[in-house]
Amino acid sequence: MAQRAVWLIRHEPGTPLCGTVRFSRRYPTVENRAKVFNGASYVPIPEDGPFLKALLFELRLLDDDKDFMECRDSCTHINKTSIYGLSIGNEELWPVVAFLKNGMVYASVPLVEQTLSPRPSLISISGISQGLELLFGIQDFLYSSQKNDTELNTKLSQLPNLLLQACPFGTLLDTNLQNSVDNNNFASVSQPQKQPAWKAGTYKGKPQVSISITEKVKSMQYDKQDIADTWQVVGAVTCKCDLEGIMPNVTISLSLPTNGSPLQDILVHPCVTSLDSAILTSSSIDGVDDSAFSGPYKFPFSPPLESFSLCYYTSQVPVPPILGFYQMKEEEVQLKIKVNLKLHESVKNNFEFCEAHIPFYNRGPITQLEYKVSFGQLEVFREKSLLIWIIGQKFPKSMEISLSGTVTFGAKSHDKQPFDQICIGDTAYVKLHFSILDYTLTGCYADQHSVQVFASGKPKISARKLYRFKQT
Amino acid sequence: MGPLSREAWAQRLGAFRASPSAFMAGADGEDLGRDLLSDLRSEKLSEQTKVSLLALSLEYPAQLWPDVPAAEAAATSLLDTMVLLPPRPSALRRPLLLAATTVLASGGVLGPTSGASCRLLPLLLGLASGGDVGRGFGPISEQRPLQATACECLRELESCKPGLLGGILGLLRSLLGQEGPIQPLSLLLALALRNTLVVQPRSGASLQGLLMAGVSSTGSGPWDWTLAEKGHSHLQPQAPCWPAAEEGACALAVLEPSPEEVRELRAAVAQLLDTSYLLTPVAQAQLLWLLGWALRGLRGQTPALFKPQLVRLLGTAQLTLLHAVLALKAAFGEALFTAQDEALLLRRLTLAAQHPALPLPTHLFYLHCLLSFPENCPLGPEGEEAAPLLLGPQLCRGLMPSLLHDPMVLLSRLHLLCLLCAEDEEEEKGQVQNPQWYLEELLAGLQQRAALDGGPRVLATLCFQASYLVASCLARQPMILTPLIQGLTQLYRARPVLAPHFVDLLDRVGPELEEPLRVVLQQEVVSRPGRDEALRWHLQMLAKVAERDAQSATLSFLQAAAAHCANWGLQQTLLRVCRVLLRGGGGPGLADLLQVLARQLEDPDGRDHARLYYILLAHLAGPKLGVALGPSLAAPALTSSLVAENQSFAAALIVQEAPAPIRLSVGPQKATGPLLVLQLQVEALEPVYSLELRFRVEGQLYAPLEAVHVPCLCPGRPAHPLFLPLQPRRPAPAQLEVRALYTTPTGITCHAHLPPLPVNFADLFLPFPQPPEGAQPGFFEGLWDSCLPKGAESRVWCPLGPQGLEALVSRHLEPFVMVAQPPTSYHIAIRLPPNSMLLLRLQAAQVDDGVPVALRTNDWAVLPLAGDYLRGLSVTE
Repeated sequence: MAQRAVWLIRHEPGTPLCGTVRFSRRYPTVENRAKVFNGASYVPIPEDGPFLKALLFELRLLDDDKDFMECRDSCTHINKTSIYGLSIGNEELWPVVAFLKNGMVYASVPLVEQTLSPRPSLISISGISQGLELLFGIQDFLYSSQKNDTELNTKLSQLPNLLLQACPFGTLLDTNLQNSVDNNNFASVSQPQKQPAWKAGTYKGKPQVSISITEKVKSMQYDKQDIADTWQVVGAVTCKCDLEGIMPNVTISLSLPTNGSPLQDILVHPCVTSLDSAILTSSSIDGVDDSAFSGPYKFPFSPPLESFSLCYYTSQVPVPPILGFYQMKEEEVQLKIKVNLKLHESVKNNFEFCEAHIPFYNRGPITQLEYKVSFGQLEVFREKSLLIWIIGQKFPKSMEISLSGTVTFGAKSHDKQPFDQICIGDTAYVKLHFSILDYTLTGCYADQHSVQVFASGKPKISARKLYRFKQT
Repeated sequence: MGPLSREAWAQRLGAFRASPSAFMAGADGEDLGRDLLSDLRSEKLSEQTKVSLLALSLEYPAQLWPDVPAAEAAATSLLDTMVLLPPRPSALRRPLLLAATTVLASGGVLGPTSGASCRLLPLLLGLASGGDVGRGFGPISEQRPLQATACECLRELESCKPGLLGGILGLLRSLLGQEGPIQPLSLLLALALRNTLVVQPRSGASLQGLLMAGVSSTGSGPWDWTLAEKGHSHLQPQAPCWPAAEEGACALAVLEPSPEEVRELRAAVAQLLDTSYLLTPVAQAQLLWLLGWALRGLRGQTPALFKPQLVRLLGTAQLTLLHAVLALKAAFGEALFTAQDEALLLRRLTLAAQHPALPLPTHLFYLHCLLSFPENCPLGPEGEEAAPLLLGPQLCRGLMPSLLHDPMVLLSRLHLLCLLCAEDEEEEKGQVQNPQWYLEELLAGLQQRAALDGGPRVLATLCFQASYLVASCLARQPMILTPLIQGLTQLYRARPVLAPHFVDLLDRVGPELEEPLRVVLQQEVVSRPGRDEALRWHLQMLAKVAERDAQSATLSFLQAAAAHCANWGLQQTLLRVCRVLLRGGGGPGLADLLQVLARQLEDPDGRDHARLYYILLAHLAGPKLGVALGPSLAAPALTSSLVAENQSFAAALIVQEAPAPIRLSVGPQKATGPLLVLQLQVEALEPVYSLELRFRVEGQLYAPLEAVHVPCLCPGRPAHPLFLPLQPRRPAPAQLEVRALYTTPTGITCHAHLPPLPVNFADLFLPFPQPPEGAQPGFFEGLWDSCLPKGAESRVWCPLGPQGLEALVSRHLEPFVMVAQPPTSYHIAIRLPPNSMLLLRLQAAQVDDGVPVALRTNDWAVLPLAGDYLRGLSVTE
């Protein structure tokens, strides 16, 4: 379950190497075990330079994909997981866990406690999930509240020390890197009760529990006979519990209004101590019927110090919140477009913001635009071939708005205009972005009175709802 | 050299990290380890710099202190540095402990003879127990972090030397019950427990004794190395973590502990599991893997202990936890998971594999887990990816691939879809949500995307990977392959630049797709005008798909193309197609084409090439041509491909020396006359064709020998004897030199020297023609008399074996007996080509151990040979 080495590689397209190793850490004691376990199939961990080259090649992050290369482009070279084999010299280093996120490649090599030939199945290697979890932990640390490159550099410089705490010998102790530092800094001398390893210390101060529910909807409306429109709500419940005591017990119940769409696919934080089997089995696979469990959804848990995601869920609401219609007609060099949007009457008509993005792919820059909007304003991004329709805070009384226009494009130059694999010819989309405060589409809410806290003092409980929307 | 400044060290460390091997090879390399150790004690350097020095020793101990004495010295120095630290808080104690542990464990030093080991282990144990370890270990505030660190160090040492902590299991248990840090102690105990269960049956130690041993067994006494040393537990590749895969081959001995031992063990495991919720999720997962592994080998142990944890774990989608649950599932199967539990686990896994709140790598891993799911009752072959039985189309509905997916997700889900389609074929057809239809749509979409002009290569690659996946999973479903082939043909029409992908696909897929796709692609290519912009790709494609029996359409396409092959590269590609046609034996049209090319091509290399091909076509028979033009073993030369090709021709056309493929021996002679013929036995060691055996005799004793031809010989099949006519110029024995010339099954002509064949004196014997009945005595006497005076006469004593004279004659001289009065008297006449004879009178004597032989010959040179022959008769008996 240990890692032999970890790397962070910044992907820098356009530079000679296409990337630089920003961090690396090797674990020699694990490497020794790998030598024994892997026997004749052992391949040593390479130095950073060769590793960088091999990894970027395998991940197709080098700039040269002009020519067909069998070792990369062959139809049998199928990767179905984030685990790769890198050819280094004449040998293949396997398994390498790696993924790209926000321009950074996260990579590690887990120890395999047996011979590598024949290759064991990935599911049988405990180090794979441990490696992924370590990389997720590093990613969370680097990108939590990080704004710019300077901050990133600061965080990178803290990483060696953090890993010395969270993963001193290649075996991960805690995914929450910050936590392991706090853990050592808290000088709790004597404790009557066992202190959980995931809780660095104890809270002292006014008790308070904050719950925030955020829902996002992913909807695709095709307006076609043969393709069904889809919309799915994804919810996340975030909690911050400032409570005294080592292990205060809290129970939060999520409720739905009558006829509310049941919550499904519920995943909970590991601190949740028990789950009703109805919550465990409620799944979008089954679709929705009247007999489906519709709450209240009780989550008993003992909270960590920091803010955490208590649970995630999905839900199938009966209608999409905004119904869209998009028509595009190509007439010689011009493109005639028409967009209608209709807000569903049940949705709260009070937005934080609401805008529709109308991109044009695989075409030149916009040279001319004539348009008419029934509501809101239109912004034009000529070079990006993008229109943004700013709808604002409210739909008009009729709940319906429309846009029509004619767009003319200049000559296509491959570098500047956006390329898309899907939007070929008259395949195109309009994307809606909006956010409604203090509202959930499912109607899901955490009743302040239903929150039970078994700890000293009477806590202040605040609940917040936020609804974000993305519709295509 | 005095201590370096902070900047100097930063620079030095940077240079080292950039390339450790280059740095160590440099002038500065040798001193690095020594400087590092000494500067750790320097008062001029800040703690931060020292921590970075220690970080280096944590990562590269093998480079810094490459051998055992150096590592031992380094570990000792690190320990000394720690003791010398002032008793105030310091950031160095922790990294120093880690570094000393790393150096000992990775340097191969750890053992009872190492002074550093014997210092470090009690120190770690003391710290881990939370006891007072004496001065130098800082204020009380540092105790708790150090306690945790000491546990981590002990765990790492135990990992590297299983059994090391076997003696302190009891102590660890009691510490866990007290106030120690829960996570490090739990993990340490779990690992030590598992390793002890592996080592214990070999060492014969009592498990109960180990588990129950109190605090007293450790303390200040010397370290107990028994289990680590005597248990022969040096780190061996143990049973893989995934237990189900290795039933039977499992290295964990099946233990049958006593009831007391079982009770103690259960108590220890329960103790660990009960407090496991206090561990971080990743640590909980490690604990479950370790305990699952530990209990797996114990016969009669119900894994029900794990049950209370499962419900809690199934609710999360924390990657390591769900993975650990899968490991428990694999380890215990039905004993822990009923059919309903299994269904629930699958359901949660399916859900997690697509949950929008989880990141992509997690989705992919869960998809992999679904296809490798450890089922209670697996049906398919082990180790192969398959959709679990309980995973029906209904469950998979949310796992259908779509063009909007990331390539890896798409391929992963496509694989699942293919597996479902394969099952679907076996069951009923024509469901509402037909997976086949879905698959067809998806492939069409992929092809459309790959056809996008100027699109990135990754789209094309994805399309071909998907095609390959479909072809390999659903090879026997024409319903799917037919539209796939049509779609691919359209793709080629739209983007011939993808020819290399097509060639690659054709190389990899089975004949179900390869054959029909090849045919349609060939038609597609040759129907193009030969002056297309994409000529290069068409030719490349044709080199793969051209029918071997050059079709006229292919030839006319090539003819038309030749005019537009302006540069060397294109000409070479064109010639490569010709070469493919040649390998199939060519045809009348091909010869014409090659002649045209030999005149017409602009580049001399191309012309030479065409001429060479023409010559080969005109002079070599079909099969030989195939071999000569087979895949070249020589690396492609940059200058002239003719040179490169010549190397492969050389290999194919030149006769090559080889070890003997047959064994040849002289068989029993049947002297019948009138001509002397040597009978040869042949035995094939490998298949040979068109074998020609050539014989030669030293010293012109015989007339030149004819070669013997055999069309085909195969090992294991009986071969007819071969007959080699001999024409001696003198009746003398000889050695025949033998050489074999033959063709191998791969078509290469080889040449081999065989061991020489002896022709013995007796092999040269021929009988005289039989005179009429009754005239033999007179005939013999006439020959007898004719020998003198020119010839020679002799008397030889021929020793007799136990069988006596009659047996001797019938065995060796039967064909030559002229007059016989069995069992006492024989007159024998032997003809020795070309014109010698040997006459023998054998008359049994009174004594039994021999027979006097009177012999005459017309050739005195035969006499010594005859003498040797007769004397040797009884020996060969």
